[in-house]
Amino acid sequence: MRGLDSFRIVWRNLWRMKLRTILTSVGVMIGTAAIVAMISLSLGLKENAVKSLESWGNLTQMEIAPAFRSPDGTFIPDEEQRKLDKEAVQILKQIPEITQVMPTKRLHADSKLKIGRREGYVELIGVEPRESAASKKADLEKGTFLSGAKNEIVVSYDVLQQLVDVEKERREARKRNAQRNTRAAEMMPPEMGEGGGELKLDVVGKAAVIVLTRQYTVDDEPKFEKREIRVRVVGQEHKLDNPRYGPVAYVPLDMITELNEWVNQGMEEELQESGSSVRKTRTRANADKNNTIYDEITVKAASREVVETVVKKVQENGFEVYSPARELEQINQFFFVIQMILGGIAAVSLLVASIGIVNTMIMSILERTREIGIMKVIGATVYNIRWLFLIESGFIGLIGGVTGLGLAYGAVALINTLAKNSGAMEQFGFRGGPGPEEQLAQIAVVPIWLALFAIGFAFVIGLLAGIFPAFRASRLSALQAIRSD
Amino acid sequence: MANGIGELTVEGVNHSYGTGKIKVPVLHQISLHINKGEFIALCGTSGSGKSTLLNLLAGLTRPDEGSVWLNGEEISRFNENQLCLFRRKCIGFIFQSYNLLPNLTALENVELPLIFAGEGVRKRRERAKAILHQVGLGERLDHKPNELSGGQQQRVSIARALVNQPQIVLADEPTGNLDSATEKEILALMRQMNREIGTTFVVVTHDQEVAHQADRVIYLQDGWIKRIENARTANEVQLT
Repeated sequence: MRGLDSFRIVWRNLWRMKLRTILTSVGVMIGTAAIVAMISLSLGLKENAVKSLESWGNLTQMEIAPAFRSPDGTFIPDEEQRKLDKEAVQILKQIPEITQVMPTKRLHADSKLKIGRREGYVELIGVEPRESAASKKADLEKGTFLSGAKNEIVVSYDVLQQLVDVEKERREARKRNAQRNTRAAEMMPPEMGEGGGELKLDVVGKAAVIVLTRQYTVDDEPKFEKREIRVRVVGQEHKLDNPRYGPVAYVPLDMITELNEWVNQGMEEELQESGSSVRKTRTRANADKNNTIYDEITVKAASREVVETVVKKVQENGFEVYSPARELEQINQFFFVIQMILGGIAAVSLLVASIGIVNTMIMSILERTREIGIMKVIGATVYNIRWLFLIESGFIGLIGGVTGLGLAYGAVALINTLAKNSGAMEQFGFRGGPGPEEQLAQIAVVPIWLALFAIGFAFVIGLLAGIFPAFRASRLSALQAIRSD
Repeated sequence: MANGIGELTVEGVNHSYGTGKIKVPVLHQISLHINKGEFIALCGTSGSGKSTLLNLLAGLTRPDEGSVWLNGEEISRFNENQLCLFRRKCIGFIFQSYNLLPNLTALENVELPLIFAGEGVRKRRERAKAILHQVGLGERLDHKPNELSGGQQQRVSIARALVNQPQIVLADEPTGNLDSATEKEILALMRQMNREIGTTFVVVTHDQEVAHQADRVIYLQDGWIKRIENARTANEVQLT
């Protein structure tokens, strides 16, 4: 028997008992819709969780620190720990899955950034322009990244909020004090500082001054010394949700080394004067000069898939790794469990539906016993009969699967609309990513694999439900079947 | 026991109905041979075992003892599926109550054996149409069984039995439900097919009219072959 012919016969039989076919497949439809809706909901939640994690920090980006614990769990003494030096950078660079190694060094002192009349405290981070340009470029909203030229800086988004017009603030404070007598002014909410003026501020291309202060004590009296470095702002990062970095200005690494030295000198002088452990500090300063010890090394993995490998290899080399990707692992596990639970609940309804199919098929065999007998007499083989009934019950599953998928799409659209309108996304803590393309508008998603899986699964459920009835039909004795009425 | 295409041989068949303790014997020591192209009538009162013998010949029942040979093959040894395939290829079956599928048209009913045989659409449609024309239903191709008279339904059933070009056609009281005028038509049709195509016919009947048309008549009584008669000489002449 040809495939097409068997499909035609099956379709005819299903059509003949439309109502029963529809009612039976409604069971499958509900089961399929439940499974798809449940899984898509948990997939959507997971995707949102991952996305918000991504906006919190790039998942392929990892922080390297010296391991303080060996693999067997014993503590490694300070002297034996790996140093974050140039050698470390070389080791990390040799791991093939790592595409970028970005050593950074922080300024160990307070620094102020002045642009025009505005000023504010920022953290200075020294980076190797060559190493970091590629990964940092992605974070830029305006301008370019450090080109390697001297006295260039790139500021983070938070810097803009940090910068305040000090003079104006003072004036306004005075004004407020003066108006304190009038009641109206009291009722008014305090005016937002202009520093919070969000994106209006454009600092890229502007000249700026970094102000450093070092403090030392002379004759028990604290003394302050200021140093000003003229720089130019060449770029500005867009908003990152990463709380690890606040107001930050990226400067060339050389500048930090130099500034750190200057700050340390102050301390050294102070120490010299107090006459204690001068030599130690000196030697450390000298060692610093010969072999730069970085504060942080950030590495970037080639893709999210190799993050695990990178973590393993870096750990083998005696480093510790901090990465949001490791949280991703837990998120994955968590949502896998959620998916299994939700899917399992929905699967119960599909199981019930499959029993419905078995029932329907057995009924229709009883009804068509005579027909089966006739078919056997005129040349249908045992396999023909079995095949026809299997396909028939598979079709019921398929119909249920397709309609169920449609229902699930409807349900998912409804959930998404409701979530959007009620602001549930914010309640769940999901916010839009930095770019418009990453805007999280969907709380549930139906990926194409899920859709195909659902239809396939419903079909297979139908087939499985058909096995017993099909065997029963094929075992009917032709003679008895013909005699039955 | 060897026999050729279109021949039937039954050897020492004993058969009884019922399982376990109570067994009702239906056939005793049946042995017979039917030649290719013969038109045989199986006659007897009801309960004589004629239908059972026919079912044995069709492979719908297996004999308790003895062997059944069709087309040179011992079908009493076949398993269920082999029997199905054998029926598809070599046997056409005509029932008293026509047994057409009620939801299929005349044409589709005739096509059905070819569908199971895996024949292509165009070829099988052509053949089904041709044979329906042959049985005189060329104008009724798209009628469902309930839109056809008894005689017409039996014609469809004959067409269905012959569409696979079997060597042997087995008919179980094919005229039992028909009025005498129609009975004659149907009988004539079967005889015509028998002559034109050379198909062997074994027809179960308790109708003398059918017996008169046959080449040989086998009379059964209480499960025994009572006698075998050669029918009118005219038929014998035509056979030779």
